[in-house]
Amino acid sequence: MKYKILKVIDVSGLTFLTPVVRLCYGEEPQKQWREIARFIGAPLVAFVVFLGLWTVLAPKHRTKSGEVPTPAVVLESANDIWKFHLRENAKEHAYSMTGEERQAQLAEAQERLAKLPPYEAAAAKKVAEANEARAAAVTAALEPLQQQYDERQAEIAAAQAARESDLLKQAAGLESASVDEKQAYLAAVASHLAAVDDERDELQELKGQQTEVRSQPFAPLAAALRTQTKIAEEKQFLTKLIEQLDRANRAQKATRQVASLRDQQKQFLASSGEDAYALAKSIDKSKRRIETTAESTYAKPYTLPMQIWRSVLCVFVGFLIGTAIAVPIGVCCGLSKTAMAALTPFIALFKPVSPIVWLPLALIIVGGFIPDPDKNPLIQWMENLPFIGWMQINPAFIASAITVALCSLWATMTNTALGVASIDKDHLNVARVLQLGFWERLFKIIIPSALPLIFAGLRISLGVGWMVLIAAELLSSSEGIGKFVWDQFNNGASDSFAKMMVVVFVVGAIGLLLDRIMIVLQRMVSFEGSVAAI
Amino acid sequence: MPVLGLDNVTFGYGSGSERYEVLRDASLAIEKNEFVAVIGFSGSGKSTLMALLAGLEKPDVGEVRLDGNAKSEPGPERGIVFQNYSLLPWLSVFENINIAVRKVFPEMSRSERRDYVQKYVDLVTLTGSESKKPHELSGGMRQRLSLARTLSMQPEVLLLDEPLSALDALTRAVLQDEIIRLWEEDRRTVVMITNDVDEAVLMADRIVPLTPGPSASFGPSFEVTLPRPRDRATLNFDPDFKHLRNRVTSYMLSINDESKTLRPTIEYPLPDLQPVLPSQRRRAVRTSA
Repeated sequence: MKYKILKVIDVSGLTFLTPVVRLCYGEEPQKQWREIARFIGAPLVAFVVFLGLWTVLAPKHRTKSGEVPTPAVVLESANDIWKFHLRENAKEHAYSMTGEERQAQLAEAQERLAKLPPYEAAAAKKVAEANEARAAAVTAALEPLQQQYDERQAEIAAAQAARESDLLKQAAGLESASVDEKQAYLAAVASHLAAVDDERDELQELKGQQTEVRSQPFAPLAAALRTQTKIAEEKQFLTKLIEQLDRANRAQKATRQVASLRDQQKQFLASSGEDAYALAKSIDKSKRRIETTAESTYAKPYTLPMQIWRSVLCVFVGFLIGTAIAVPIGVCCGLSKTAMAALTPFIALFKPVSPIVWLPLALIIVGGFIPDPDKNPLIQWMENLPFIGWMQINPAFIASAITVALCSLWATMTNTALGVASIDKDHLNVARVLQLGFWERLFKIIIPSALPLIFAGLRISLGVGWMVLIAAELLSSSEGIGKFVWDQFNNGASDSFAKMMVVVFVVGAIGLLLDRIMIVLQRMVSFEGSVAAI
Repeated sequence: MPVLGLDNVTFGYGSGSERYEVLRDASLAIEKNEFVAVIGFSGSGKSTLMALLAGLEKPDVGEVRLDGNAKSEPGPERGIVFQNYSLLPWLSVFENINIAVRKVFPEMSRSERRDYVQKYVDLVTLTGSESKKPHELSGGMRQRLSLARTLSMQPEVLLLDEPLSALDALTRAVLQDEIIRLWEEDRRTVVMITNDVDEAVLMADRIVPLTPGPSASFGPSFEVTLPRPRDRATLNFDPDFKHLRNRVTSYMLSINDESKTLRPTIEYPLPDLQPVLPSQRRRAVRTSA
């Protein structure tokens, strides 16, 4: 059992767990504790230090979009993102609810809404109090500044008047003065004017200090406002939810539409002439509307979790396209020196091209194949697929996937070529003695022996693809993590800075997970003597 | 008619002035059911000879014949056991044999094939290790597996390319006995390459020395008439054994000396220098200054 667990840990590359398992089995406890301190303790300490530095340093830098968020703020943003997701799910669910379930939900939502007003009032009161406190604090801080300003202004005005009258006095006898004296007079006037400028700047600076005091953030007010916003959001959500459960609900809508259809049909039976024609037309329209209603779903906006799924799907589609191109070409290059010579210039030429260049090209080319996504059979077919239908695969998605493929396939291609070319000659001799044909040799000897290197390449490719994808989505506006970042960057809400930081961690965590999966796969196909996984 | 023959074979690597000739005008005839040991110094072209016999290399001049027909491609009828085992590391013990059986006996059903492979696994006493990968086996086990794979192809001629040279002395002795045991069962034709005179005398019917390269060829063969089964414990005291071993050894040493005298000795002229002691050096510096 113990060795099985250790083996799994080793294959999955989670070697930091090894001492824990060994400790559980009571094997050399002292040594295991040392290992735990090193491989679990040290990273934890480093992470805590990182969080501490972040918390201390972040508020020191202020930008146009507000302060750099601290870890606490980022965590709260992550929470908000998740809450938004849950609320949208609830609304979507509410739209298609029927019967008693709907009634119960509606009652619950209304009850929750009814509970809100006291909280609302309390929050408003708190905000008002905080505002007052802030005003008091600001006035208190401003008073000495204003006083200082006034005093200084008076001083300066007096000094300026004195200098001016002095200069006027000197000017009176100037016509009989020597050239030198005239020069000196000009210099005196210049220095007076320069002093006036300096004094104006000084006064302006004093004013600036007051402005700064006024714009100083006031923590209690910010907290009160946050609470108020939260309550307002909850209220808005409940109102919308009730709407989805009640008036906008699909079943309710359908009932109303059916009722109106009945009315029209009754009227139609009693009518004749032009009226009958008009009613017949509207009956047809109503019937069609009922059909659309039956098929309709809640128009749910993309939430970050949905965008993450779409991004992951996109990277895998791109990765599969890339692999399908890279492995066969890599095998050809590895098998034939001629093919290698023929293709090396292309690989060298295209490998360094940035995703930013591939993406517009891919968009145009995909757009050429799919001029009208609503009528394209492939797109329509994919829309009805289970699990991925809701992701609305569109040309932007396909172009992003192709960009991922074009940027990521090189690592796989070169590694495959290397793996195939560096096959052990003895293994080929075995194939010759067994008189294996070309395909048998390829699939039984060459590819298995190159698999560890192929997987090493695939792992690099997936990592590159994931990095490229975020940029591609950002540019192509394909719904995904990149789009989320771009939207946040553009909307400039108070919490968008923090939300972008949440994305940093999400992207990092998913990239790490993908890499781990590839490591496990790579270890599974590796054998002794093959290139070891890192 | 010999089963396997080498007719005036010349073979070399490279061309022009770069050419290194390994074999020149080498001829060898191996009779049916004969166990021939080819013995030679390292670097005398033993492995090249084996590659030629197996068909992995083509002779520049001359022919390799199997049952009288010239052969230029390798095939399962000449089963070769490589010096470094050449097992496929991603396949298990069972699969390593299975891949060969599947190719050589395509008409076997799945269950027949399983039994057949199992028979060879048992034959080389690897029973119980069927699902192990080659890297989990010891050197001796690997070589046994390699032998089982080759035997499973039921080759007409078994070619053993220094099969035991990478093993430690004890494992080597065990495997020597094992190879002899397997050979005694059906007395297949065997060509074994070795650099160990004792091994050759112990195992073979005939010993063929390979003269040291470059441009090696075969020396006169030594028939080994010792009765079988040969017991290594008593053999050491057998006068015939000792006599034969000494004859082969002294022959090998003589051809080695001969080749050394044949090899042109290049004399590098050294400059005529006198050692200078530190005290002398100081004096020399002073006088020159």
